[in-house]
Formats: sequence, structure tokens, C-alpha cells
Amino acid sequence: METLMVDRVHSSLRLFMHRNAIFLCERLCAQFPSETNVQLLATCYLHNNQPYAAYHILKGKKLPESRYLFATSCFRMNLLREAEETLCPVNEPNMEVPSGATGHYLLGVIYRCTGRISAAAEQFTQALTLDPLLWSAYEELCILGIAEDTDECFSESTALRLQQEHTSTPTLVKSNFANENRVLSSRVSASLRDISPKQIKQLHANNIAEVSGYPHVRPTALHVQNSSTSNVPQFDTPSPTAAQTSSIMPPPLFRNVHAYQNTISGDAPTKQKANGVNQPLRRKYMDEARLKKVSGRLFNSDSTSIPRRSERLKDTATNSNSNTSQFGGNGTGHSSGSRYEVIDEMWTDNISGTSSSVSTADGRSFEQDKAERILLQDSKLALGIRELLGLFRTLGEGFRLSCLFKCQEALEVYRKLPESQFNTGWVLCQVGKAYFELVDYLEADRYFELAHRLSPCTLDGMDIYSTVLYHLNEEMRLSYLAQELISIDRLSPQAWCAVGNCFALRKDHETALKNFQRSVQLDSRFAYAHTLCGHEYSALEDYENSIKFYRCALQVDERHYNAWYGLGVVYLRQEKFEFAEHHFRRAFQINPRSSVLMCYLGMALNSLKRNKEALEMMEKAIAADKKNPLPKYQKALILLGLQKYQEALDELERLKEIAPHESSMYALMGKIYKQLNILDKAVFCFGIALDLKPPAADLAIIKW
Amino acid sequence: MESDAEEEAAATPAAAGAPGAGRLKGSPELTVDADMREMAKTAAWSVSSCKAGNGVAALRDDNLNTYWQSDGAQPHLVNIQFQKKVQLQLVVLYVDFKLDESYTPSKISIRAGDGFHNLKEIKTVELAKPVGWVHISLSGADPRETFIHTFMLQIAVLSNHLNGRDTHVRQIKIYGPRPNPVPAQPFHFTSREFITYSTIR
Repeated sequence: METLMVDRVHSSLRLFMHRNAIFLCERLCAQFPSETNVQLLATCYLHNNQPYAAYHILKGKKLPESRYLFATSCFRMNLLREAEETLCPVNEPNMEVPSGATGHYLLGVIYRCTGRISAAAEQFTQALTLDPLLWSAYEELCILGIAEDTDECFSESTALRLQQEHTSTPTLVKSNFANENRVLSSRVSASLRDISPKQIKQLHANNIAEVSGYPHVRPTALHVQNSSTSNVPQFDTPSPTAAQTSSIMPPPLFRNVHAYQNTISGDAPTKQKANGVNQPLRRKYMDEARLKKVSGRLFNSDSTSIPRRSERLKDTATNSNSNTSQFGGNGTGHSSGSRYEVIDEMWTDNISGTSSSVSTADGRSFEQDKAERILLQDSKLALGIRELLGLFRTLGEGFRLSCLFKCQEALEVYRKLPESQFNTGWVLCQVGKAYFELVDYLEADRYFELAHRLSPCTLDGMDIYSTVLYHLNEEMRLSYLAQELISIDRLSPQAWCAVGNCFALRKDHETALKNFQRSVQLDSRFAYAHTLCGHEYSALEDYENSIKFYRCALQVDERHYNAWYGLGVVYLRQEKFEFAEHHFRRAFQINPRSSVLMCYLGMALNSLKRNKEALEMMEKAIAADKKNPLPKYQKALILLGLQKYQEALDELERLKEIAPHESSMYALMGKIYKQLNILDKAVFCFGIALDLKPPAADLAIIKW
Repeated sequence: MESDAEEEAAATPAAAGAPGAGRLKGSPELTVDADMREMAKTAAWSVSSCKAGNGVAALRDDNLNTYWQSDGAQPHLVNIQFQKKVQLQLVVLYVDFKLDESYTPSKISIRAGDGFHNLKEIKTVELAKPVGWVHISLSGADPRETFIHTFMLQIAVLSNHLNGRDTHVRQIKIYGPRPNPVPAQPFHFTSREFITYSTIR
């Protein structure tokens, strides 16, 4: 009865019938109280968005899976200290972080939220080492600015390592919702990674032995896909049969399969527990894996099964819940057929877990052709791993470069992607962001629009898109975007940022501020919302509050250079030039390519009377971006301050060719002529300036 | 924009009072240039006298149905003190002869200075049966005098229509220039290219 109930619970969870699952699970826990059942109940609660319930039942439990689930619930309830305490108890420094890579990742996120950047970085690196396909960990490292080159992270050696440990993982990761998918696929691959090569061999052996078994497996693949909370005891049962029926594998295979299955279930999506015990097992097998790698390749029988799998692949567009779910089903049948089910499901779910689509299959195929010429037949696995790693390499490199603000390089890297991957929301948003950082708002606009059209529900980059429209002064489109975003998701901070930008564009700073504050309320870990609040307070001349909000933004994300810039501007206005220079320099260090930042840094230096440095900075800014007229104007201003009138005039003459309709430019020229006492020219320039309709303040000055 | 946001679409047409030279009538719409902004949100407002229930808050509540009613001898004063020296350009009052008749101000004097001790009159206007917003520009004829720089502004109602003693004023707004969004610049930027590159958001 217990296994039946567990199976039903998994099936309910898989089909998103959370209340049903919770009810059944509560009955299960009442009837068969055991920690694994409690873990299953906690998983049900977490699925149903009730982290407090999971927290309550898991408090004090010691099994690694329980600790991981407990930590997740704490994190969701914002009880960071407890979460950290569970994952990494102070009193027991040698206790392993549960759930392997994902546990380290969670711990890293907690460290980052509490401001311990270096510890966080350590955890993320650890997570990435344990599971090279854990994209989120790599992403976090990029955001912290310390990710290493993707060629190292996702390299050939990693591929080999994965290959030895995995069954195949076709690289069917769609860039859309990439993070979730990558997390999922990482889980998948993480679990696969833990499989020793013996496991692979066993699978191959199975293929050889009973190819006919597969058609049977197919229909069962779906129904056993329940999300499981890896009831470890249940997985013990298949393995003996596996070992027994495998005529080729030596006895240790039994352990491997056991370990594999445990770890697969363990590394399933976050809600699953990992069997921390298996970690030492895994590591041991890794070495054996390398030895066996060669022999593993000899088993080519995969090829026959692969086409079937890829068909199944197209059929089962499930997400990785199915990945873990299969293991729950394992408990039920234990015929030799079920053994293949087990393994096959793992394959299927791994495949399906990476949300396959036809297009990605296509994308895979041409790489596949190439690869097949090189590798031997067994290498669907090797192939798959390499493809996935190749994809990660490209995307990771692009993301890393754009986080370091080396936008041109990032763009080049992104262009290397196959079209199917490129034309997805995430990638297009990243490309748009890169153009935004390059201050090329027209291109950014184009890409963001495309991204929004292709995947209207990706809200991630939409706040930047609204800023782009703000810069381009496109009131209509900005308000349309804002309305759309609100209608898609009223509770997303990006939507309210867009609305706020709308009002800011119309100079209604108070309403804009209200909207940005709503955005902050919705997600206090969203740095940009804080920065925008700061901008609005600054526009309202409420400098104290603006400083407060900029600091909040920096607390969330120290590399948010907009906040550093904002602080610099505030101090510049308050005439605290030293502070201004310091903050602009910090911003500049984070983003050394931005000509606007260089310009401001120059302005600050000029105010500090460090004119030589100021001029150098302006030269740099001019060189960095030819299209930016501002550094030249500022340079002229500085030269005017130094009383080098002729040079200033030359600069302005040059500027005139680029931006002929700028009244301030003519006003400045007029001012210089006036200083030089060339009054007729001065009058002439002022006349042009007036024609270009400056605001009233300028009128006063100009009309002298 | 202020005009859109705050426009009271008053159906009442402007009063058809005989426009004498320099006599203001008032318009139903509040038309203010985009490059001006309301300056007195953080200022300290006070009045020389008021009737209970019709105090100084009614001048700033964006509600044209509430009014300030004075309760003393003329001239009735509205004092606005700023926290720092500001540039001001325009004073706008909302008065309504149709509703207030003898309470409607007819002669208004505007004074500016550092404090109560050195206020100096800068402008006097006469109103002729005004209905709606009365715009009083503070600029002088000289372009150099577009703005007045001051710590304090005092609006004095010297006399009312029909020789009324007390006065009703429904709303007062003070306008000055917007600060340059780019700090430390002598001039504003007007062209798209400059503005796009001028700030990071």
C-alpha cells in the first residue's frame, strides 16, 4: 500500500494536482511514518507554494535530503540564517553540504544575499565543479564578475568527465527559459554525471542484450514519470536485478547502479533531495570511470536505441519533473523489463528534461553530422555532452563577456549561435542588453522588440527595454509596453519599472517614484528598481533619499554600475567633488567601456581642478565612442575653463559637424566669442542658439 | 506636464470683464511651459489671517472648491518661505468672481526678499472680474531678469472687488525653471543626440 500511495502522490505532483498530492501524502505519512515520506510531503508543500508547511514538518530532520528541502523552505520564507545553518552547520564543520551541486548553489545564493561575496563565489565554483552543467551557478559567477573562461569550465576535459559519468544527455536545451531549463538539464546531467561508466556499459549491454525490450518501455515511459522524492530504499530493489541480468558487468556494477539511481534521484530538481551519502561513492567512481572510458566506447548499441529515443524525445515535451518522477515509478515493477524502464526512463527524462523541441533537434543534427565523422558510434553520449557543453560554452562566454561589459566581444560570441538558439527570448534579450550598454539604443530597441515578439512572456529583460525606449523618447511605445507588461503579470517588478519609466519620461517624477517603489516592494532583490527610485528622488532633488536607494541597490548587487553612477551624480550636484569622483571611478572600474561614464568621470575631475586628468579622460571617452558628442562638448568646456579659447572653439567647430542642432553648443561658442570680445560672431552664435529653442533658463543667459 | 495633469477643465468661460490696460482676467486653463516646474512643494506657507475651516491648506490642496478666506484687516498676506534661494518665474492664482464676488481680489502686490524684514515689491497687478487661473509673470522686461532669486515671496491682496473686506483665493502655484538634468552644465541640451548620451539610467 505504501508504494501504491507514493506512486499516486508522484503522479499527482507530476500532473500538478497539488491538493490531491498533499492529501494523499498526509495519509501516507500518518500510515507509514518515515522520514522519506515526510520528505515527500514537504516536496508536495513546496510544489504548492507553502514553504512554511514544509518548514514546519522538516524542522530538525537530519537526513541530507531533508536538510536540503528544509533549507529551500527557509530560503523561500526569507529565513536566510536558518537556511544557511541547515546547509552548513556551524557546529559540525565536516558535514557535507547536502544535495551536492545544488546544495552548494543554494548556499552560494544565501551567502550572496547576505553580502559574503567571496564565500558565495567559492560555493558557486564548488557547485560548478560538482556539476558542470549547472548553468545557474555559472551565471551567478558571471554576475559576481569572477567567472572564469568558459573554455575552462566547459572544456574538453569536462566533456570527458561528463561522458564517463553520464548516460547521454542530448543537448536539447532551449535558450528560452534557459535558466530553468539549464537548471533542469543540469540536474539531469548532474544525476547522469554520477553514473559510473560501468553504468553506461550496463546500458549498452542492455541494449545489446534486449533491444526488443525498448518498444515495451516506450509507453511506460510516460506513466512512470512522477516526480519523486527519491525514496532511496525503493531504488535498492531494481539494482540487484540489474546486476544479475547483466552478464558482462562485474559485480561492482551493482553498486554503481545503486549509486547512480540514488544520485540521479538525488540531483533531480531542487525539490528533490540528494543522497549525500552517495557523494563519496560518486567520487570514487569518477576515477574508475576514466579507466573504463575506452571500453565504454566499444558498446555501440546505443545507436539503435537512439532514434527511438529521439522520437520519444519529440513526443515527451515534459520538463525535468518527469526526470525525477521516473524513479518513484521504479519502486513498483521489478521485472527485467522494468529495469530497462528504469534506465530508459532516465534516458528519456534526461532527454525530455531538457525540454526538447523540433528546432533544437535540427540544431543538433548538423553538429551531429560533423561529430559522427569524428567520434565513434557509441558517442551519442559523447556527442550529446559535447554539444551541450559547446552550447554552454558559447552562451556562457557571451554572458560572461556581457557581465564584464565587453559588449562587442559578447555580441560576436552570441552571433556564433545557431539560428534556432539565437532567435529565442533569452539570447535576444542578452543581445539587446549588450547594445544597450554600448549606448546603441536603436539596435537595442530592435533586438528587444524582436525578443518581446518572439516570447512575450519573458519579462526578464523588459525593464532594460523600457529604459531603452525612455532614452529614445518613445512615449507611445513605452506606454504600450508598460500596459502590456502589466496585463501579462501585475506582480512582476519589471512591469512596474516600465510603468515608472513611462511617467519619468513625461517628467512626472512623483508618480514614477510611486511605481518604482511598488516594483521594489514586489522584489527587494531587484537592484535596478532601487536604482530607478534613486534616480527619481534625485530628479526631485531629494538627495538624502536618493542616496539611500542607491545604497540599497548596491547592497543587492555591488556591480550595479548605474547605482555608483547615480551616487556620483548626486555628490556632483551637492558639490562634494571628491565623493563624486570616487563613485564615478568605481562605476568606471566596473564598466570600463562606457563613454558616458568616462565623460562624467572627466567632469568630476574637472570640478576637482585636476584638469590634465580630466582632459585625458575626455580624450578616452571621445576615442571610445565616436558617436557620442558629449565628451567633445565637455572637453570644450574644460578648455574654456582653462582659458584655452581657441582650442575650445576648434573642438566646438568639429562638434558642429556631428551635431548641428544643439543649442547649447552654439551658446557655448557665443560665450567664448564674447570672452574673446569678437562680439559679432558671439551675437551670431547666440542667435543660432536661440533659434534652436533652448529652455527658459538658457534664454536668460543667452540674451545677456 | 503640469497643464495636462492639473487642468481643471472649467466650463466657465473667461470673464468678459472690461480688460483695462494691464488688468488680468484669468483663464480657465492652467497653461505652463514644459520647462517650468512647481517650486513651492517644500516651502513654508503662512497667511496673515484666516477663518476657521478655510485655512492655508486650502491654497495647496489642488481642490478648486476649497478656498482660503482671510479674517482681518487689509492687506491680506500669503507668505511663502523657501529653504534655499530659488529662481522663480511665474505665480498663478485661481480666483472666481462668479462664485466669490466681493471676496475676489482686485489688486495684488507681489513682494520678494530674504525675510519679513526686507521684502520689496516686484510686481503689482489689477484683476478685472477674473474667473479661472490668473498667471502673473515675475519676469522683468530685460531678458536678464527672467527669474527672480529669492528666499521668500509674499502675495499681498491689497483690495477686493466691490470693496469687500475679506478675500477668497482658491489655489496658488509658484513656478520656476527646471534644473538641468545633467549636473554642472552651463546650458541645457536640446538635441536628441546630446540628450541620449547625457545620462545613464
